[in-house]
Amino acid sequence: MNVPDRDAAVGSQPADDRVGGDDHPAPIIEGRNIVKRFGGAVAVDDVSIAVSPGEIHGLLGENGAGKSTLMRVLAGVLAPNEGAVWVEGRKLDPGDTRAALDAGVSLVHQELSLVPEMTVAENILLGSTPSRSGFINTREQKRIAAEALEEIGVSVDLDEPIARLSVALRQFVEIARAIARKPQVLILDEPTATLTPAETTYLLDMLQRLAGRGLAIIYISHRIPEIFAICNRVTVLRDGRHVTTVDIEDTTPEGVVEFMVGRDLQLELETHRVDPDIGEVVLSARGLRAPGVNDIDLDVRAGEIVGLGGLVGAGRTELVRAMIGADIRTAGETTITRDGITKRIASYRSAVAGGVAYIPEERRTDGLALSMPVVDNITLPNRHALSRAHVLQSRKIVDFAKHLAEVVNLRPPEIHRNVGQYSGGNQQKVVLAKWLGREPEVIILDEPTRGVDVGAKAEIHRLIRELADNGAAVLVVSSDLPELLELSDTIHVVRDGRIVGTLLRDQADETSVMALASGQTKVDAP
Amino acid sequence: MTDTQTQPQHAETDDARSDLISRVRTILGRRTEGRAVALLSVVVVITAITEPIVFTSYEVTLGRIALIGLVALGLTAVILMGELDLAVASTLAVSGVIMASFESITIGILAALGTGLLIGVVNAFFVIVVGINSFIATLGMLFFLRGAAFVISGEAPVRLANVDAGIAFGRPLIGPLSPRMLIFIAAFVMLHIFLTRVRAGREFYAVGGNREAAHDAGIPVTRRVFTGFMISGFVASLAGVINTLERTAADPTAGSAVLLASFAAAIIGGVLLNGGRGSVFGTLLGASSLGLLQVALTLSGVQVDVQNIVIGSVLLLAVITDPSSLRAAAGSMRALVRSRSGP
Ligand SMILES: Nc1ncnc2c1ncn2[C@@H]1O[C@H](COP(=O)(O)OP(=O)(O)OP(=O)(O)O)[C@@H](O)[C@H]1O
Ligand SMILES: [Mg+2]
Repeated sequence: MNVPDRDAAVGSQPADDRVGGDDHPAPIIEGRNIVKRFGGAVAVDDVSIAVSPGEIHGLLGENGAGKSTLMRVLAGVLAPNEGAVWVEGRKLDPGDTRAALDAGVSLVHQELSLVPEMTVAENILLGSTPSRSGFINTREQKRIAAEALEEIGVSVDLDEPIARLSVALRQFVEIARAIARKPQVLILDEPTATLTPAETTYLLDMLQRLAGRGLAIIYISHRIPEIFAICNRVTVLRDGRHVTTVDIEDTTPEGVVEFMVGRDLQLELETHRVDPDIGEVVLSARGLRAPGVNDIDLDVRAGEIVGLGGLVGAGRTELVRAMIGADIRTAGETTITRDGITKRIASYRSAVAGGVAYIPEERRTDGLALSMPVVDNITLPNRHALSRAHVLQSRKIVDFAKHLAEVVNLRPPEIHRNVGQYSGGNQQKVVLAKWLGREPEVIILDEPTRGVDVGAKAEIHRLIRELADNGAAVLVVSSDLPELLELSDTIHVVRDGRIVGTLLRDQADETSVMALASGQTKVDAP
Repeated sequence: MTDTQTQPQHAETDDARSDLISRVRTILGRRTEGRAVALLSVVVVITAITEPIVFTSYEVTLGRIALIGLVALGLTAVILMGELDLAVASTLAVSGVIMASFESITIGILAALGTGLLIGVVNAFFVIVVGINSFIATLGMLFFLRGAAFVISGEAPVRLANVDAGIAFGRPLIGPLSPRMLIFIAAFVMLHIFLTRVRAGREFYAVGGNREAAHDAGIPVTRRVFTGFMISGFVASLAGVINTLERTAADPTAGSAVLLASFAAAIIGGVLLNGGRGSVFGTLLGASSLGLLQVALTLSGVQVDVQNIVIGSVLLLAVITDPSSLRAAAGSMRALVRSRSGP
């Protein structure tokens, strides 16, 4: 990802509170003095935002800053407590999704919002199915769906149920749906969280093309370089309040981050480990085969962080799941060595019993009980440590959960709140906290910081390093190249279910990993 | 980027296009009626050998299928949205009793059907407006209506004022098809068209598959849930009307065996209890298998209690052999064989 060089002074701009300055064309969508409360908590506090046709407007803020909530208000999904949304000078009925859609406001949600059992075509036209006196016009449905997919340059079988598509393809179907509605305002809430660098670049180009045709775009991302690559202006939120709206030329990456966190972020955290103390092999796979996984040999040593790089769909998730017995394997075996004793991993249960912690990719479905409070979610895998003679000790539990919530910087740190009420990034932190509590011997993380803000990301990286420093064997799957490079002592690049190259920390850089991942070079394992 | 991300998909679909067999397989893989077809074939073959009388006295068999099937069809509409309607059997009973308590048969039928619709509205109100879990809400309705049926009828079967109409109703109308059969077929066709071709009906699947997404896409979720419960209530009362006409009397205990069987028919037919998946065609197959099974068991002199054991077992079997888990198992078996024999 290339960050355009901007040498403006860091954070020296005055906060700009104008909405739609004189030098910008008239805004097409305006949120005026929006307030949104959940119970007593204020999620969005008197925020105004205005976006003009042809503009790509970045929206930044830490996890829980209120970005998604504000966008859901703009798209009519939520009714604000105060304030109103105006499109083309007309006030929208609050909380009327239909009215917002008809006015041309289209939102791509942070969490996938497709119907898994319905087909691609049906999902693209969900809610606006073309019909003649009530009857679905299937031909028209397919035509519009195909047109939208063509517009974004993705080809996929229109009759395929969504459940059978990869996560990345689902994301593009979702974008196709937004496009099919012929919007005037397109809002994307962290669309790149599940995409690889190549797919991200493609998406960003596409958005610029759309903006060039006069679409107003609001773009949310935690990846600052993306913001600087495509946005004309940015708005920063903090704790539900509007901090600033600036033209991108007038600020720098460091400047926006400072606006986001309200303090100087300790960027020195972002450094490699020095002289890691690497011990014996703890987790080992030999000749491992499974659907999508081809003949893998892999070792992870105590105190070592091993990264798995590659494109989405290369088979990394399948690989780690087969390794720990979470999915079926067809050949080969994996072992775990503890105190000099080597044991076969026969099932996921035996892996967990052997000290493996696995943090899955799909946090909402695999990792969390959304309708349970944070404290229960965190303590779920740690019940044994927290009970005496099978009776759970409630004081100990609360202290334990509080400590972990602090460690991952959960915001707000209210452990009795239901997980479902937390923002996306904060939910990810709960998943992490849950497994970190076990102080595992082997920890496997699949996309650990997807959707997590810059500050929390640095915090999570620090945690992972700390675990390794304390002797844990760590295996990380990440499509975020800088993260992979920064964390790993060794990087294995996976393509088509095989390890196509192994790079040590000092050999690896973005180019060498990408070249291997996309199959342009072949490097023999040293 | 489209290359890296859609290539595998491409390869798959291109192959599928060039190969008719795998295309058929893809289409079959997307169907949800597999279990119902399997069960129906097994039941047909076994009964054809052991109790061929089931097919010669087809009026009885078809009547049985129509009774289970009609209620199951209405249920399907509700279950597709991820809700339950436990009140269907009681709705059947209460609307029968209401119908019989009117002198005029026309007014009776209209009142009965109106009651069914009203029950649907009340159910939906509790579920979606008050926000009570549909299992609890309709469980309450089940007892309420069963009680009401007893109170209205004075705890005894009510004879129809116009018995002749009832007798006329029982006669075959077209070929061997009785009016009951014809109404069932009409209900099936209409519901099938509604759920596959009509926009509102198709949106039932979205409401059941991902309610949040449906709402965010501007689908009027509340209205759809109301429609679903109203269909279920209406169809159940229709079954009550037919039942009353055929027996020329309304029994407040009517339909108590129907609840289990109609649920089983929908589930065996591939309708997912969590919603979003299934078809009325599957429900029809499920109802046919269970209807055949019940009649065959009755004819071979099996006690009703034992019949229930059989239906319960079939239902459990159907759930265990859910096609998605079967497909996964088959896939891994194939991979196993391939990796053993391959290089
Ligand atoms: N349904 C809800 N009930 C209660 N509180 C909620 C609900 N949805 C959001 N919140 C709260 O509102 C605040 C803002 O959340 P929001 O999802 O808008 O954050 P965000 O900026 O999108 O964060 P992220 O980067 O993690 O996605 C958070 O404190 C969150 O806990
Ligand atoms: Mg968010």
